[in-house]
Amino acid sequence: MISNPLPLNLSRYGGCTLTGALSVTTQVRDSVTIVHGPKGCTHHNFSLLHATGLDNDRATLPDLISTGLSECDIIFGGEGALGRTLDAAAKRNVSAVFVLSTCIADTIGDDVAAVCRKDRRVPVLPVPTGGFLGGTFQNGVNNALNAIADTIESCPKVWCVNIIGEKNLEYEVEENFIEVTRLLDALGIPVNLRFVRDCSMTDIHRLGAARLNILRDDDLRAVGERLRLRFGTPFISSFPAGLAGTIGFLESVADTFGVKYLQAVREEKVLQEEILTEFNDISGTAITFDPALADSESSRHACEVAGRIGIVIDRGGCRVPLEISPPVGTAGLRRMLHRWRRAIHARV
Amino acid sequence: MPECENPLWPCAMTGAAACLAGFEGITVVIRGSSGCYYYPATLLPVPLHGTFILENEVIFGSEQRLHEVLDGLFGKDKKIAVVMTCVPAILGEDVRSMLKSYDVILVDSPGFSGDVETGYKKALSVLAPSVDPGREGINIDGACLFDPFSWGNVREIVRLLGCASVPVGTVFCSDRLESVGHAAAYTVGTNMDFTSGAGSMLGGTLGLEEISTTFRRIASVCPEADISPVEREIEREEERIVRACDKYLRRFDPPQAVIFSGFSYAAFAAKTLEHYLDADILYIGARNEPGTSPFPCGHVTGFSQVTSLIRQFNPDLILGSSFERSVDSRRAFIGLTPPLRGMVKLAPHSVAGITGTLSFVENVLNACMDRKK
Repeated sequence: MISNPLPLNLSRYGGCTLTGALSVTTQVRDSVTIVHGPKGCTHHNFSLLHATGLDNDRATLPDLISTGLSECDIIFGGEGALGRTLDAAAKRNVSAVFVLSTCIADTIGDDVAAVCRKDRRVPVLPVPTGGFLGGTFQNGVNNALNAIADTIESCPKVWCVNIIGEKNLEYEVEENFIEVTRLLDALGIPVNLRFVRDCSMTDIHRLGAARLNILRDDDLRAVGERLRLRFGTPFISSFPAGLAGTIGFLESVADTFGVKYLQAVREEKVLQEEILTEFNDISGTAITFDPALADSESSRHACEVAGRIGIVIDRGGCRVPLEISPPVGTAGLRRMLHRWRRAIHARV
Repeated sequence: MPECENPLWPCAMTGAAACLAGFEGITVVIRGSSGCYYYPATLLPVPLHGTFILENEVIFGSEQRLHEVLDGLFGKDKKIAVVMTCVPAILGEDVRSMLKSYDVILVDSPGFSGDVETGYKKALSVLAPSVDPGREGINIDGACLFDPFSWGNVREIVRLLGCASVPVGTVFCSDRLESVGHAAAYTVGTNMDFTSGAGSMLGGTLGLEEISTTFRRIASVCPEADISPVEREIEREEERIVRACDKYLRRFDPPQAVIFSGFSYAAFAAKTLEHYLDADILYIGARNEPGTSPFPCGHVTGFSQVTSLIRQFNPDLILGSSFERSVDSRRAFIGLTPPLRGMVKLAPHSVAGITGTLSFVENVLNACMDRKK
């Protein structure tokens, strides 16, 4: 029995669909998001988004409205409350109103889509959520990205890529983006759109312009497929991870654009060697990871790096930190190695 | 209007978890989804457990999952408390019958039933605190884990009671579970928004005047108490506060403040600012139902209300949570209200007691002077 969450058991412990969807919709600057449920659900998410925003040096707060379902609404139905809230939100100067439901709204059977169909002179985008009734956090992310993408028309292709589905609640989200753009710069390819991170609905209309979509990770494959069908844009299924994986990323992007990559790859390999040399002092040390992550992708990339430095993986070794998502690119590996060295020093 | 823009206060489920998790000897299980679990788990500095129910368990019944979780937790010398969330509360399952073979505490405080205070009180009522006539000492009230100052408050009041040679009774809610049924006959408060109702309330400990009054009452009911060390400390520290505030006023105008907090802390802050700094209290936005106040005051529940009040009153000092701080970083800010995101807090800080008043005034003066530079 597990009553404290293990990160890899996503169906049960994968977080709330609502939170996943909010991590996307609140990144659309000129929009408002209605959360159809009790006030507490909105507060919990507002507070969480506020905290992660501050972690990323952003003081801006998300714009959320709760329909404030009470005990009475739960007995008699909450569609009236949603309709009133939508009418009020539509009077604001916003480019879109997102409507997200909660598990309580789904349980009492409110027809959210029907309430959203009324013409309110502003795009109203219901996103299928429903707390745990809607699936996991990742389902919320995917549903929100799809709901937004479905409103966008095709446009001519331009020499650029889109970044799809960044983990907006991730502590190092900006550092990861910077690492991806560093690699793209080495190939001379610019970023068109971060879908969806800190952009307006007008920006999002450029979604179809990219020649390649780079997904944050493989969990977004369904979104990548949908965008490929809608806009004819191929995708790479994740950010670069691991030493060889980062080189492979450069080669894949270059192949899509038909550009030469030998120099970029050579320079990246030199950089990787320099970084590995920096950590020669921990060569020969025995380390271990959280057993819950033993078979994860993170662990595979970590083992690759350890092998190159001469670090021994041993169950009795020093427990070093490892995240569920593998570190992004060469810069991510460097930060990981600093954390390993700190842990090894702390043990000595 | 039922809808609320960016609600600022947590739900009853969080309050119940905060109450129960404060007791050593209780394992708290949130009976709900992972989404409901993660918020109190990130806010409260103690381990929590959850049933993490799934859709099929809502449709076909969640009894098996509940038993699975409880079976895994039994036999660890702790009483298990099950806190209900919204969906399980309306499923119509007979939870008491599901739990009849287990010795557990069941608290029915779904999020829609009210705010954090509602859940806290509900959980306390289930624990049914009672006075043990043989128990010596004074209980300490209002230590709710949701309040980031609760641990500091408890340490400070324990220190002051120690100075007065008075034993500590039960600390609500930060004590061993057995103490709940053996409370002392008298109680002092820290954060009065979270009272237990156990023992006769002698008074609060927010602000030097209130501490002085409360300790005189303690002396009247505890013949063995010697409150003279506390009185001397109050006199000495108040002199320091007065000197520091007077020096500030030689150069600067008094602050014009708006305060957003639970009513208890807000009332303390307003009174202290007016008393020592001749501050103009423009408005108190209470997160909970406000009591009577000599200052302009209202119940403020949403962030848009906060924003418009700050624009309306244009204060040079804001007291509140990190939500309020985000409105305008140019104004002096004091963190008094949860959540206090975006800052690291490791040491115990208090609002209650003599140290609490000293810290409060110190923070106000430093914040105001920093903004004047």
